[in-house]
Amino acid sequence: MTTQIEFSGVNKHYGAYHALKDINLSIDKGSFVALVGPSGCGKSTLLRSLAGLEKITGGDISIAGEVVTTLPPRKRDVAMVFQSYALYPHMTVEENLTYSLRVHGVSKGERKKAAAEVAATTGLSDLLHRYPRELSGGQRQRVAMSRAIIRNPKAFLFDEPLSNLDAALRVHMRKEIRALHDRLGATSVYVTHDQIEAMTMADHVVVLRAGIIEQQGRPLDLYDKPANKFVAGFIGSPAMNFLPATVAEGRAATIDLGKGPIRLTIPVAAPIGSSVLIGIRPEHITLTAPGEGRFDAPVAFTESTGSTTFVSTATNPELMVVETGRRMVANGDLVGLAFADTAVHVFDGATEKRL
Amino acid sequence: MSETFRNRLLLVIALLLAAIYLFPLYWMYITALKTGSEMFATPPSFWPDDPQWSIFPFVFQLKGMGRFLWNSVVIASGSVALIAVLGTGAAYVLARYRNAWVDVGLFLVLMLQVLPASLMITPIFVLFTLTGILDFPRTAVILAIAAKSMPFFIVLVRATFMSVPMELEEAALVDGNSRIGAFWSIVLPLARNGILVSAILIFMQAFGEFVYSKSLIQEIELQPSSVGLNAFMGPNTNEWNRIMAFASIYVTPILATFVLLQRRIVSGLTSGALK
Repeated sequence: MTTQIEFSGVNKHYGAYHALKDINLSIDKGSFVALVGPSGCGKSTLLRSLAGLEKITGGDISIAGEVVTTLPPRKRDVAMVFQSYALYPHMTVEENLTYSLRVHGVSKGERKKAAAEVAATTGLSDLLHRYPRELSGGQRQRVAMSRAIIRNPKAFLFDEPLSNLDAALRVHMRKEIRALHDRLGATSVYVTHDQIEAMTMADHVVVLRAGIIEQQGRPLDLYDKPANKFVAGFIGSPAMNFLPATVAEGRAATIDLGKGPIRLTIPVAAPIGSSVLIGIRPEHITLTAPGEGRFDAPVAFTESTGSTTFVSTATNPELMVVETGRRMVANGDLVGLAFADTAVHVFDGATEKRL
Repeated sequence: MSETFRNRLLLVIALLLAAIYLFPLYWMYITALKTGSEMFATPPSFWPDDPQWSIFPFVFQLKGMGRFLWNSVVIASGSVALIAVLGTGAAYVLARYRNAWVDVGLFLVLMLQVLPASLMITPIFVLFTLTGILDFPRTAVILAIAAKSMPFFIVLVRATFMSVPMELEEAALVDGNSRIGAFWSIVLPLARNGILVSAILIFMQAFGEFVYSKSLIQEIELQPSSVGLNAFMGPNTNEWNRIMAFASIYVTPILATFVLLQRRIVSGLTSGALK
């Protein structure tokens, strides 16, 4: 694998605000990388810096081995799909698609040919002479994508491209974008605030918070071994349950849910008496009859989507349990909660880092 | 009160106000058509008994109005061209950059708008005399009008530019265009309506400009219609019909343009003319 994009020590300041803090990230050629994080975490700033739309205040960015830190966007040879699609309203679909070719001096005949080819693969052939205002949201999205793939850029940049679509179309476009990426063998950087998009589409997920890379790696590695409480809570839906606990003798910790201390086995060694956070994913807890699980808890309320039941317990802190199928428990019922030792994540109480 | 009744009432009030507002215009046209005696009749007649249509060609010939109108067109076109070129650039910068200097710039631009022409004319006159610009009187007037009307243009066009999403420009940059290229091929076409409308408004303003033209142009062959009309009037003037005929010939083209373009002007002013 060769490196296609490299950030080394990238910093970005807006006045006194430090938006990107010493970002080091290398992206392999042909990989699909998702930058994910809550709003204001710097993921869009990082993408825009890569495109050349933001000037970074420190560090270097290179694309395909060439340092592009000071180059304007047009000399970086990347294509970008914007959240608002940014289709040129005064141009037809065909003119939108071929704008970059026109700027680069490609002849009219070749432009038409290229537009027809791309339109055929993205299903826009019948719409080439329409204006963007005459298209539906999904069609506009397709035009934005086609505009990016018509030339052969060194990287595709996506800035939350699906956030303006309805839920069903979003799921569909997710697959389509990923399929397109595989077919073109392109390098893609995809910004999203939706961890599900990141998990399902990317080969490599980068979780950002407040301008810092909290963790990066393969999607399932992030799910299985989150590096800290933030990543643990951000990846996975519904979010992981966190329980404050005190380390006891014999690789154990005690938690208190309001009804006295409960002893749990933990998979790591920690100084006895130190405070830690126990993390358990809702989907790793199963409901049992009272007394048959690790401990019992009363049910606060349940929500069912038909295929899945979400059960919240009336404990402090509240626990969320996800059960596949329908589970007939009533509010106030006492249930047992069971989970494997391997399902327990332990984080340092002070630094919130994984132990 | 029902909905339709209230709407009709409001319509009647609007028409009444419009009638009051437009009455002088009506009076100008009918006075031009009246004979000398009818003009001074009491009570005045609201419709001429014997319309004197021949007064229009007569006054046009008598006063050499072709020359006056030509000078008005030259001054107005020159001002619009200068303002459009400089003002569009200024408005773009003021729309796209946000910092303390831009705020200061905007404040100064708006302050220029506040200063009346009659106040500015003295320093302008002195400056133009000293620099020799006064040897080209029409150019001098164009410069003075441009300085006076530029703020108005900048404020209007800046709003238009601000309605063009920044992302479109960024898309053009990533697509391989330069900042200037993106401005020409994306921003300018999208802001065209707003710029055109502002230019038309400036043209109409400049076409009727009086203070600078009167003060800076001595030669009668170079004066615009507004000054020509003023020269018509003296302490003992009684040829009101001729003055009104002059005025009618002068304003009718502007009025006609406005009526023809009013739909575009109004829509260009209210919407960002986008999407």
